[in-house]
Amino acid sequence: MSGPFLEIDKLTRRFGGLTAVDELSFTVEHGAIHGLIGPNGAGKTTTFNMVSGFYKPTSGDVRLHGESISGLAMHEVARRGLVRTFQHSTLFAELSVLHNVMVGTHMNFRPNIFSAIVGWDHEDRSGAKARAREALDFFGLLELENERAGELSHGHQRALGMAVAMAAHPDVILLDEPFTGMNPEETKRMMELMSKLRDSGVTILLVEHDMHAIMGLCDQITVMSFGKFLAEGNPQEIRTNPTVIEAYLGGTHHAA
Amino acid sequence: MVELLAQTGLNALYAGSYMSLVAVGLVLIFGVMGVINFAHGELFMLGAYAVVALYADLQMPFILAVALGLIFVGLVGIGMERVMFRPLRDNPLGGLVASIGFLMILQAVAVMGFGVRMEHVPPATQEIIVFSEKVRLPLARLYVIVAAVVFLTALWAFLTKTRFGWALRASAQDPEAAALQGISINQTSRIAMFIGAALAGVAGALTAPLVSVNPHMGHSVIVTAFIVIIVGGIGSLEGAVVAAFAYSVVHTVVTTFWDGVIADIVGLSLMLVVLIVKPTGLFGTADRA
Amino acid sequence: MPRLAKQGSVVLAFVVLLIALPHGLSFSQQEILVFLTINVLLVTSYRLLTLTGEWSLAHVVIMGVGAYSSALYSKELGIYVPVSMLLGACTAALIAMFLSYPLFRMKGFYFLIGSFAAGEIIRLLWKRFRDPFGGPKGLKKIDPMPDFDIGIWQFDFFEPVSYYYFALVVVGLSLWLMWRIERSPIGLTFHAVHWQDKLAQSVGVDVRAYRTLAFVLASGFSGLSGALLAHYIGTINPNSFDVEMMVFVLTWAIVGGTETFYGPILGCIVLTIFNEVVLRELGFEQMRPFIYGLLMICSVLFLPKGLESVVQKLLLRRANGDKQKEEKADPKESEA
Repeated sequence: MSGPFLEIDKLTRRFGGLTAVDELSFTVEHGAIHGLIGPNGAGKTTTFNMVSGFYKPTSGDVRLHGESISGLAMHEVARRGLVRTFQHSTLFAELSVLHNVMVGTHMNFRPNIFSAIVGWDHEDRSGAKARAREALDFFGLLELENERAGELSHGHQRALGMAVAMAAHPDVILLDEPFTGMNPEETKRMMELMSKLRDSGVTILLVEHDMHAIMGLCDQITVMSFGKFLAEGNPQEIRTNPTVIEAYLGGTHHAA
Repeated sequence: MVELLAQTGLNALYAGSYMSLVAVGLVLIFGVMGVINFAHGELFMLGAYAVVALYADLQMPFILAVALGLIFVGLVGIGMERVMFRPLRDNPLGGLVASIGFLMILQAVAVMGFGVRMEHVPPATQEIIVFSEKVRLPLARLYVIVAAVVFLTALWAFLTKTRFGWALRASAQDPEAAALQGISINQTSRIAMFIGAALAGVAGALTAPLVSVNPHMGHSVIVTAFIVIIVGGIGSLEGAVVAAFAYSVVHTVVTTFWDGVIADIVGLSLMLVVLIVKPTGLFGTADRA
Repeated sequence: MPRLAKQGSVVLAFVVLLIALPHGLSFSQQEILVFLTINVLLVTSYRLLTLTGEWSLAHVVIMGVGAYSSALYSKELGIYVPVSMLLGACTAALIAMFLSYPLFRMKGFYFLIGSFAAGEIIRLLWKRFRDPFGGPKGLKKIDPMPDFDIGIWQFDFFEPVSYYYFALVVVGLSLWLMWRIERSPIGLTFHAVHWQDKLAQSVGVDVRAYRTLAFVLASGFSGLSGALLAHYIGTINPNSFDVEMMVFVLTWAIVGGTETFYGPILGCIVLTIFNEVVLRELGFEQMRPFIYGLLMICSVLFLPKGLESVVQKLLLRRANGDKQKEEKADPKESEA
């Protein structure tokens, strides 16, 4: 089926008198890395939250595989194949790295209480563990599997966040400013991981301020400004688009 | 029928008066300090026992006993702030738990000091205002109503017209900004705790001659107070006053036509409904819970 | 594996101790033991609920639901007592299921107050309606457990010792079940829901369903403890399940700590022994609420992580000490 993969259709969100997102429309193609950028206050995070089910849109629609997912609860959206990560180190700090990722396997290895007690869920549990280890290995975190998640370095914690999301076997991952607080070394590593993730068949939509990463990584970029759609295109087109440059007030790399 | 309603109205006016004092005290403490004071009903009890000791046992004039009771309970409140709530400022659940512990201590103290039986305090005045054969208002109850009006007005004036009052409101709205402005959190907490406790204490003191005083009387007071502040809106002083009277009307009516236990059930159900439908209550402000 | 054998023998010794224990106690102390066993189940079931981060104030009332329903099933419907106990537990779980619809729309403090209100309403219903709940006087002459004989022991349920053994089996089994649940993926999900519910949701966890599950399970076990109580004492009334009892449960959980499985159990045992040995012997029973209140305050102020943290530290120090012993070549060197 070659319909649009993830469609954002005239998405609008009002908070009281303020219109944070105004009739935003764009499409994310299957297998792409799609960036969503814009100066501070452009409404990227709000859009992000609407697509992932954290907010309900005031109007407009989000469609995944042609099916409307707007207004669904977050866990329902996840069950349809769309998973998101979080900006701040949102991890289970007290649990081991392995256990963190095992939470991500929840959907596909749903525990059944009776078998859990008696111990008949052995198959499920080893399946979940294997999948978790797979995700850890993908992100190069396998040796750290028994460490406490709260004690990892920042870069590792970010990677772990993505491993948790990946363990859920999503079709689409929404990445919320994955490069924040990373040094150039970590950024390069993260970019490699993301390409690898896309190559494994996962579509990526990311919100980010780091222009270097965006330009280097994305196939397609949508630019927002003041809640509205501003421009769309590949990195080269966006880089040279005069309205985009103007929106960023002189083309600085990082918005304030 | 009209007479029944009128009498019910007078009863509700009286009950609403002392409940509004209690509820406003609770909201003040929560608003400024962010902590739920489970021991608030026991502060009410303490005020009642102060009158038992000073007025009934030591034969002091009623007004003096009430005034001393107010000050005493207010000081107990300051003690609570210093010993429990201040160290636990970053741990609201801990503060709540500590207040439960303190509740038990106060009850035990009352039992040890006065025994478990109910005390009967002779009313300050036996006079009754008679509107008609079936509609009467004991003068002692009128005192409570008048006192409530006086105290609430005084509080309103304090909060809006004095420097301390402004500091309290600023702390309640935005503690960090208030601290940056040089308003001492410790001082505002102390003031809020004194006033909040004193209001509960004076309500207990005033109603001591009209109810049966016993060490467990705080229980129904705190339950009612919670219902009132939830319905009124957890951050709102005006809400507490309005809800106190509205609740008293409902409770009195239901008690008149059915019974007290049913009335309690209705009150609790009302609170649940509010919690489900609009947790911020009637006058709800941005809550700190 | 010597370590496993060592652990196994510790467990065995413990079991033997539990079986032998009542024979060294007086009659009234044996009764306390029965109550203690039931309370261990009660407080552990409370901990199951707190695994998802919710602190309910209705827990003891739900214990009462189990008590009342088991009593009524056996009395009014003539159901065999052990079966009525199970039905009582199921009833408690069902009521919890029903309550979860309104209650789990609330979080944190609101849930606390809401659960309190729901519990009070149920308690007031018992108080108000003499038929079938017996009103303020409650239910009397509740059917006791039927006596039976298993060869090595004759269960005469007039004796506290027999009931203690019976309760021990029921409670032991329940604790094992709760332990298994906690160690399973379900327990992991509970932890996830407690600490980062948004993260859990983002990978497909229905947070509300899991909170409800914890609540229902905890309530079922709580109801079971209520049923055990009802058929032991023989009479129950609304005051048996009031706020004071709830505060005791809270105190045990807080003083003991809720991080570990055994924390609340530790709190319950320590405080019960303290109550019996110290307060009763010294004649300070009347001061029990005072002492408990003081304990709660001191616990929150000075030992916020509970008694279990003391135990953890001791175990850690012992483990380090063992390690040091292994590493030291010269046995004559003394430990630090």
